[in-house]
Amino acid sequence: MTTPLTVRRSNFRRTGFAGAVLNGRLEGPDRLSGQQQVSVPTVRNKDERAVFDEVFLPHMAEAYRLAQWLTGNASDAEDVVQDAALRAFRGIRNFGAVNARAWSLTIVRNTAYSWLMKNRPKSVVFTDDLSPTEQQELEHEGPLGKRIETPEEIAVLREDAETVQQALAQLPPQFREVIVLREISQLNYRDIAEITNVPIGTVMSRLSRARQLLIAHLGNRK
Amino acid sequence: MSISIKDDDELLLNAYCDGELDPVSAIEFERRLAADQALQDRYARLQSLRRAVRSLPRFDVPTGLEARIKSGLDAASPGQAARPRQRSWSFQALAAAALFGAVISGSVMMTMERYGQRKEVAREVVAGHIRGLLAPQPFDVASSDRHTVKPWFTAHIPESPQVPDLAAEGFVLVGGRVDVVGHDPVATIVYRHAKHTVSVTTLPLGQSVSDQTIAGYNVRSWGDSQFTYVAVSDIPAEDLATFEHAFSTASSVPEVK
Repeated sequence: MTTPLTVRRSNFRRTGFAGAVLNGRLEGPDRLSGQQQVSVPTVRNKDERAVFDEVFLPHMAEAYRLAQWLTGNASDAEDVVQDAALRAFRGIRNFGAVNARAWSLTIVRNTAYSWLMKNRPKSVVFTDDLSPTEQQELEHEGPLGKRIETPEEIAVLREDAETVQQALAQLPPQFREVIVLREISQLNYRDIAEITNVPIGTVMSRLSRARQLLIAHLGNRK
Repeated sequence: MSISIKDDDELLLNAYCDGELDPVSAIEFERRLAADQALQDRYARLQSLRRAVRSLPRFDVPTGLEARIKSGLDAASPGQAARPRQRSWSFQALAAAALFGAVISGSVMMTMERYGQRKEVAREVVAGHIRGLLAPQPFDVASSDRHTVKPWFTAHIPESPQVPDLAAEGFVLVGGRVDVVGHDPVATIVYRHAKHTVSVTTLPLGQSVSDQTIAGYNVRSWGDSQFTYVAVSDIPAEDLATFEHAFSTASSVPEVK
């Protein structure tokens, strides 16, 4: 029996290029999520509440921050995290004892989008709802259909927190989420692919695209 | 000149910065990087962007969030989630048959009763409001913080409504209570407007109540995709209409009525 909360782990299509990547786990400071995998004993025989406390609660702060980035404000984020906690608890039997952090963040991310769909329907555009041409356009030409060039001459970026935060908040959701998961949650590509339920190749192109958009936005123009 | 950088290079550069290249590709890329000034510029720019994003201040996690999550969960009865998953086929069939029978007879009964109920429902909702006014306070949980009221509902009844904060529109959230309509517990959100109390009772979909006056209280009802709302108050009918508008806008489910 599967619920919508089941983490799908099987659909990492490797594109030709991505095949060169991720052969073998690298060790290093960036491999945070690998190190943080909590090994949790099998769920069946334990009190579900105890399992929930072990699996979801340690990631609550991070879950909240992700929710705030996705919804754009603190009070929506709190609603989302509370909803997500409830969903996580009800689905705790489906937790596969693999990666508690990715599992928890997946639920939060999905809850955030369904919450937004329901409560702020105008603020979300889902790539899945777009036609292939529109998707192509979004991934490669920027959100408004016009190509945003990354000018070669930009060398210095405005780095003050407020400007950066605004620029990030203004990215379309599918670009914002990969940046947040990568830079703020410091997850690796594999985990990001799992959480956002897209192939690793898509994660890579979205990250690259998102960074170009940010650079174009933050570049000092004379 | 430097426009020669291909799409794949951009991806490679990103993967390299993210530490996602396998060792062989990484070394190969480093060699190219050392030889290519334009690539180095891109690398530096990408790294300064990453630095800027990583050094953003972290959002503060609201105090008490964990406690509120836990109290929300205390409600979700553990028994509900803990049902054994595998049953024998014949047991399932039996259960399905029984359920089917129950649904059929239930729906027949409901159709018969519905007519009488409609009036009864409005009366019971008003009765709840009056009882609330007679009690020392018209609510079971007192809070002007919707993040307290909503989890409290979640903890006490199966389907809890959105609890919008309407202070800006002149309706101050004061709390919530559980009323009983028919035999079912339902959520009632309590607001204060000047010195008047407004109760909003949330009924399951499908129950309809017509706008009317009962025992001197104005009753106004509307619905969205989740609930039928019944507002009861002694404020004038126009003000109640304003309230409905504010409430349904704030609970921001677009398909009102």
